[in-house]
Amino acid sequence: MRKIVIPGDLLTDKPLRILDAIVEDNKTYSTIIGLYDDEKKSLIPLEGLWYPNRDDVVVGIIEESKLNTETVILNAPYKGLIISKYSESHMSSGDFIEANVKELDKTGTVILTRPKILHDGKIIRIKPSKVNRVLGKANTMIKQITEGTKTRIVVGLNGLIWLNGGNIDLAIKAIETVCKEAHTSGLTEKIGTMVGAPKQPNQKISKETETKETTENNEKTEEEMI
Amino acid sequence: MKGNIELIKDGKRLDGRLPGDLRDIKIKTNVVKNAQGSAYIEWGNNKIIAAIHGPNEALPRHTANPNKAVVKCRYMMAPFSSSEEHGRSGMNRRAVEISKVTGEVFENVILLDQFPGTEISIYIEVIQSDGGTRAAGITCAAVALAASGIPIKDLPFSVSAGKVGETVILDLNKIEDNYSDADMPVAVLPRTKEVVLLQMDGSLTKKQYTDAMALILESGKKISKIQRDALISQYSQ
Amino acid sequence: MQLITNKFLKERFALGKRDDDRDPMTYRDIKLTLNEIPNAEGSAIVEIGNTKVLTGVKVDLSEPMSDTPNDGNMTTSAELLPMADDNYDVGPPTPFGVELARVVDRAIRAAGVIDTEKLFIEEGKVWGVFVDMYILNNDGNLFDAGLLASVAALLSCKVPKYENETVIREAMGKLPTKNITTSCTFAKFADNLLLDPTANEEALAESRVTIGNDEEVIRSMQKGMSGSFSMKDLDQLIDVTFEKSKTLRQILKNNTGD
Repeated sequence: MRKIVIPGDLLTDKPLRILDAIVEDNKTYSTIIGLYDDEKKSLIPLEGLWYPNRDDVVVGIIEESKLNTETVILNAPYKGLIISKYSESHMSSGDFIEANVKELDKTGTVILTRPKILHDGKIIRIKPSKVNRVLGKANTMIKQITEGTKTRIVVGLNGLIWLNGGNIDLAIKAIETVCKEAHTSGLTEKIGTMVGAPKQPNQKISKETETKETTENNEKTEEEMI
Repeated sequence: MKGNIELIKDGKRLDGRLPGDLRDIKIKTNVVKNAQGSAYIEWGNNKIIAAIHGPNEALPRHTANPNKAVVKCRYMMAPFSSSEEHGRSGMNRRAVEISKVTGEVFENVILLDQFPGTEISIYIEVIQSDGGTRAAGITCAAVALAASGIPIKDLPFSVSAGKVGETVILDLNKIEDNYSDADMPVAVLPRTKEVVLLQMDGSLTKKQYTDAMALILESGKKISKIQRDALISQYSQ
Repeated sequence: MQLITNKFLKERFALGKRDDDRDPMTYRDIKLTLNEIPNAEGSAIVEIGNTKVLTGVKVDLSEPMSDTPNDGNMTTSAELLPMADDNYDVGPPTPFGVELARVVDRAIRAAGVIDTEKLFIEEGKVWGVFVDMYILNNDGNLFDAGLLASVAALLSCKVPKYENETVIREAMGKLPTKNITTSCTFAKFADNLLLDPTANEEALAESRVTIGNDEEVIRSMQKGMSGSFSMKDLDQLIDVTFEKSKTLRQILKNNTGD
């Protein structure tokens, strides 16, 4: 059973370690607005900020390039930092990059590795809580947007999305629609029609991949909510 | 009773409410596009917008706390918000004090240690006022905060109670506030019933204080329900 | 919602394209809501795309200015609310906020929107009209949105009665008005002229110009930012303003019944 909870709601009368929940008097309470699954004891945020986790893919903009480091704007309360030994190419202020999170250090800085410069194109910002919906189950949503618009797209878990080439305006419109209607069902079909994507061979995706992806993102959960 | 206005007649107040009645309350979320979270409340004739920005890097740097987020709160009344004359623009002493005690309510509930070195800004703009704006503002800002996704340990509500003659009444409007014998705005965490805002002036016996608190707690159930519905309705069609 | 960097917008501008899909000389959707603040004598909310401005008008007893002893007076302010934009801070008015208030103030005065002579009460007593703009969300072109909201609020504004030395707000008459004015704001980038610039476009523009007019004549102008306009640019923009202002006036007339 899944239900929408708000801050202060009792999740379970046992003390459990659940992300975005707190334990008081040996009971567990939500601190956010989210979907709580009582069987899995999981809480999926409906709104919220991005918490950096190791290996997260992020998109950012180089803010400042100093001697051995680059600071990166990430659409988060934290700044990104690239230490030169992790990067091969020279980056300058204003460059768009894709990178992976190495760690969140004690000073609240996100250390990034494997930076790649994203040449040209543009970056748009969405709510980090909508990223999973934009990717879609087994990446179906983003795949059909890419194929339908012929736009190259990199989705950062931090809510920044880089786009280049193809029908970029249509791609942005499709992504905005996904964010606006994230909680509705039948969105994959709607977006498919919008971008004129070739029919996705959804059914051919192996059972294994599908199950794995489903546990990782919340698209299915949101669909079933209605 | 001060003044010469009869605020309660045949057990009913000027606007027809019984002593323990709330005014009508409506809340809508996501009204300010550039904010991280926002809400709009109509509480009787009060109209208030609350918006949350951040967490952002705390600026200027010396205001930052390396262990937790700092809360910056601003409550302000628009110069055209009152039915009387044009108000002075800018922050007066009253607004400075309300901003301070309101900010302290939210320092209590936000899980500040999750965002070291950052600042969270809470803006409460009263665009029409009819008494009880600080309580309505806190109730509204709590919804804006929940809508922003910033983790909070509970969703506070706020309302005031007071006294006309010897009758304890809930949720004073402007005219009642002007002529009442006591006014006591309170904010409460509904789960634990902890009091996170308390102000009072006038005169209350211990018994009247207890009665006023009982009215506040009872009405809190209704206010909390309205807050919950506003938050959840944005996810249903 | 969109975070677009200078580099991209510059390239896009160079191609004659905009921040959004609009043609250079079109407005975003405009929405006008009247009387949102019944406590104020007049009020209006104008939304132009994601830009949202609320004007509230209060009318109070006031002393006339010494040079116009028989006329009512008007005071205009603009509050750039910190919730409206991450770049707005709490504190005293910024130069931009002051410019916005003064440009809107001049447009209203120059066009003679308020019939100030009719605001005379008795010697030493006139009505004072306070026009306060509240910027609720900024996505550019606050000038046109601010003027539209302020004129709409004035057209629907009421005036209290003054009897036996007291102001009576319960029974009010209509604020005497005698004209309608609107403005069109343009941004210039490279050789491109854009009507109704968004915040992104304003951030990159070299120059900006606001032209206020009524049905007959130009009433006010303000050029802003460090760039320039050619004589030819201005000729064209004035023509566009007269054309586009028909729609703006229609929005005012449809809503206020003037």
